[in-house]
Amino acid sequence: MRHVRRLFAKLTGLILRGRADHELNREVSAHLVLLEDEFQRRGMNRDQARMEARRAYGSVEQAKQLHREERSILWLEQTFADLRYACRSLLKTPAFAAIAVLTLALGIGANIAIFTVVNAVLLRPLPFQHPEQLVRVFDDLNGVGAKDIGMSVPEIQDLRDRSDVFHAISVIWPVSTALSGGDHTERIEMLATGFDYFQMLGVQAALGRVYGPRDAAPGFTEAVVISDGLWKRQFGSDPHILGRRIRVDEDGYTIVGVMPPDFRHPGQTLAGDVDLWAAAGFTANPFPSPPARAQRFLPGAIARLQPGLTLKQAQQRLDALTAHLTQTYPKEYLPASRWSLRLEPVEQSLTGNVRPTLVVLMAAVGFVLLMVAVNMASLLVARSSARMRELAIRQAMGASRGRLVRQLLTESILVSLIGGLAAMLVLALAKESLLALMPPDLPRLAEVHFDARVIGLACLLSIVTGILFGLTPALHASSTDPNRDLKEGTRSGTPSVRQNRFRGVLVATEIALSVVLLSGAGLLVHSFWNTLRVNPGFDSKGLMVARIWIPFPNNPKMNRYLTAPSFASLSRELLRRVRTLPGIQEAAMGGNNSVPLVNYSRNGIAFSLPDQADSILKQRSAEFASVSPEFFQVLRTPLLRGRFFSDMDTDKSKRVVIINEAFAKQYMAGRDVGRRVNALGSDWEIVGVVGDMREDGLDADVAPRIYSALYRGPANEIAIFLRGASEASGLKEAVTGVVQSVDPELPVYGVRTMREMMATSLARRRFSLSLMAVFGALALFLASMGIYGVMAYAVSQRAQEFSIRMALGAQPRDILLIALRPGAMLTLLGVGLGLIAAQGATHLMTSLLFGVSPADPITLIGVPVALALVALLACWIPARRAVRVAPVDALRS
Amino acid sequence: MPSEGKSRIQVLQGTLDLIVLRTLASLGPQHAYGIAARLEQVSEDLLKLNQGTLYPALVRLEQLGWIKGKWDKTENGREAKYYAITKAGLKALGEETVRWRQMSGLVEKLLSEES
Repeated sequence: MRHVRRLFAKLTGLILRGRADHELNREVSAHLVLLEDEFQRRGMNRDQARMEARRAYGSVEQAKQLHREERSILWLEQTFADLRYACRSLLKTPAFAAIAVLTLALGIGANIAIFTVVNAVLLRPLPFQHPEQLVRVFDDLNGVGAKDIGMSVPEIQDLRDRSDVFHAISVIWPVSTALSGGDHTERIEMLATGFDYFQMLGVQAALGRVYGPRDAAPGFTEAVVISDGLWKRQFGSDPHILGRRIRVDEDGYTIVGVMPPDFRHPGQTLAGDVDLWAAAGFTANPFPSPPARAQRFLPGAIARLQPGLTLKQAQQRLDALTAHLTQTYPKEYLPASRWSLRLEPVEQSLTGNVRPTLVVLMAAVGFVLLMVAVNMASLLVARSSARMRELAIRQAMGASRGRLVRQLLTESILVSLIGGLAAMLVLALAKESLLALMPPDLPRLAEVHFDARVIGLACLLSIVTGILFGLTPALHASSTDPNRDLKEGTRSGTPSVRQNRFRGVLVATEIALSVVLLSGAGLLVHSFWNTLRVNPGFDSKGLMVARIWIPFPNNPKMNRYLTAPSFASLSRELLRRVRTLPGIQEAAMGGNNSVPLVNYSRNGIAFSLPDQADSILKQRSAEFASVSPEFFQVLRTPLLRGRFFSDMDTDKSKRVVIINEAFAKQYMAGRDVGRRVNALGSDWEIVGVVGDMREDGLDADVAPRIYSALYRGPANEIAIFLRGASEASGLKEAVTGVVQSVDPELPVYGVRTMREMMATSLARRRFSLSLMAVFGALALFLASMGIYGVMAYAVSQRAQEFSIRMALGAQPRDILLIALRPGAMLTLLGVGLGLIAAQGATHLMTSLLFGVSPADPITLIGVPVALALVALLACWIPARRAVRVAPVDALRS
Repeated sequence: MPSEGKSRIQVLQGTLDLIVLRTLASLGPQHAYGIAARLEQVSEDLLKLNQGTLYPALVRLEQLGWIKGKWDKTENGREAKYYAITKAGLKALGEETVRWRQMSGLVEKLLSEES
């Protein structure tokens, strides 16, 4: 209590310093007067009395100092004095202050921006209770190198019974679905789950309730939960939404809850956030009944481990379980395929694929800040040389070296803090537009915002940067010899050779750092160039896609398009009508998984080759899609051998398939057309081989693929491919009109040009590339500024020498060479060091590269050459000035 | 202690506060000079201090809320800042006095046993 009061009084004393000093002065003089009176009373004359009074009082200044120390907090008071002084000296040199604050704001701001994203995506725990217990469960067939092949219902049931491993487990199955009830049928993103899903995550509804184990049913349960987004968009935030009946894929459901706005499903979705959650037992319609162990139609599962169980322990118990099951069901689990269950933290499976990008970007901005600091250090050295005299005087007046360093550091930290503050302000103001630059498929993007950790880092970064760039120059400047420096300062007001050499070291460092950054940027540019040159396997020019979801009612009898003839007639009718749309020259169709570049979950079909004896044991799988006869012509995918599908390929005709080149290369060994493939329970004849399409992205390998004829069988989805002059705008309405004129229950979605889809698939690559390019350009600029500063000074200092040389007959060319030499040496040194460092740094980027090795010769030669040219230009400008100096002027000055 | 220790006593750390409080409690409000004069008088010039060194103690006591200063006129019409002990100060004086007695008693005991 006593200490708090005292501290408060001290702080008050700190703030009311002026008044307290005045009061003290008054009190001291009053005291002296009283003493004087006393001595005069004892018989001294006035002068004697005054002297005696002073002696009795002791040192007035010392008393005042002691008083101040007692009254206030000395180091704080000194810091305030330093700050005041720093402000004044910065205001006196506004150009320096502006450049310093600007570069620091850039450096610190870039770091905070990237860190804000890293923090939200990688560092902040998922917004669930004990997120570390949440895992994804995957089925792998290690024997045949197949990962994440999906799970069967009996497998899920086995896992649910293992209460020694899982506290709860739920299927997660993202699907499209048709929501009707509004003015038109809309395709929305649905997540089919087990009944434990919400309890497992530990989340509650914002309105109403979530479904739970008591809703359990063999098929889909009646109760569904909707997202906040759907509630606002489709139901106008109706507070009486609970109990509302909706029709989803033509089945009736009841809304029992609305989730909070910030709740997101912690896993992959098809195209955007989940809008509807529905639970099923997966053992009755529309699912196969009874469930078979070998039917792995469930795409995945999420589970919560028992508290206290580590991932490793859980994995060991699962390994024992798989061994046991493999023995129990030898037919379903072929020993050669080595079936296994794999656990992965949810956090990792959600954000694992962006981790390398973010880590590289974080490292790159770190380098930028380092360069900013080095540049600032160089600037400060130049500035402190101008203040040499001032520092020497301070030292002569009794300031200790520590005190001088403290004062200089205060100044650099102040500048750095102002820079950091400016950066935060700009970031806060520009937050929305910056977020719009982010690739939209970045996981947890909605969670990106400033929090205490970001603000803390901003402060820390500012202070550390301030110390980083301030300390060496401060130590340097304070190690003055007042005697020498007062003289030197008086004579020329210019820094010593010693200081310029130090700046030279800094500049070489800068060049080295920028070599590393530019190499990283160069590799990404080269990779991007490679992806742009990749042949996608189709012609995107003027090609547009519109997708249609075909509702899949729980009761198969309600499904109007479940038979091949009904589906074929729907497809043919749609195709006939869209061809009549204005501007459309050609049209084709595909079934499920036929649209390139939309990141379908890779869930291939198993196949074998009947003419190879051991083929079944190999458990091979290939991607599968059904397409209409004109599909390949419309997409301009070349036919390599055999024929395309024709209108006659239906469920009544021979079973035929077309394979892609990757399939032929991997499995056919030169003999393809005419051979048979066994898949989906029958033999199919290969009638054609087409060129590869980059289905999974321009920078992803092409997977072996089997195409069947669209009119052979039903599909859940139809994609219409249109080639014509018109733009995507307006097309959605046109296509929707056509589709609804055929069947009003069919929702149209995903209407986009192929160009847009290609751009989207490159969004993340483009994002990291643009950032690296900006960082690289910044690095180049900083390095050239640095070398220019040092060279300009060196030349001005040697002006006399140059004029003497010229007077003695040196040619301008000789002078130019002499002037250029130190700059060239620094550049070479920096580039050499940078190349060594780049070798290490760029290896970290391997996963971001495409068609380029980290030791890409074009980058590793191009970057140093470009950098050397820029650096030499920065040297050349001051060097040319050296030549132009009129000898007489230089000699006189 | 330097050789002059015989004729002069250096003020022990922390005891100055106690002395000032005691003086103000006995004599009523006093200015700094008055306190210093009183100290010299009581110690019969044995305790000699630079009067300026009183000030840190006065600041400390005032910040603790044990004394309070107020500008006033002396009998001779000079202005001076008069310090008065507060209620909290009286309480603190009591506590500090007890502490000091315990301390000096202990030291006395130790010294007599040692000799």
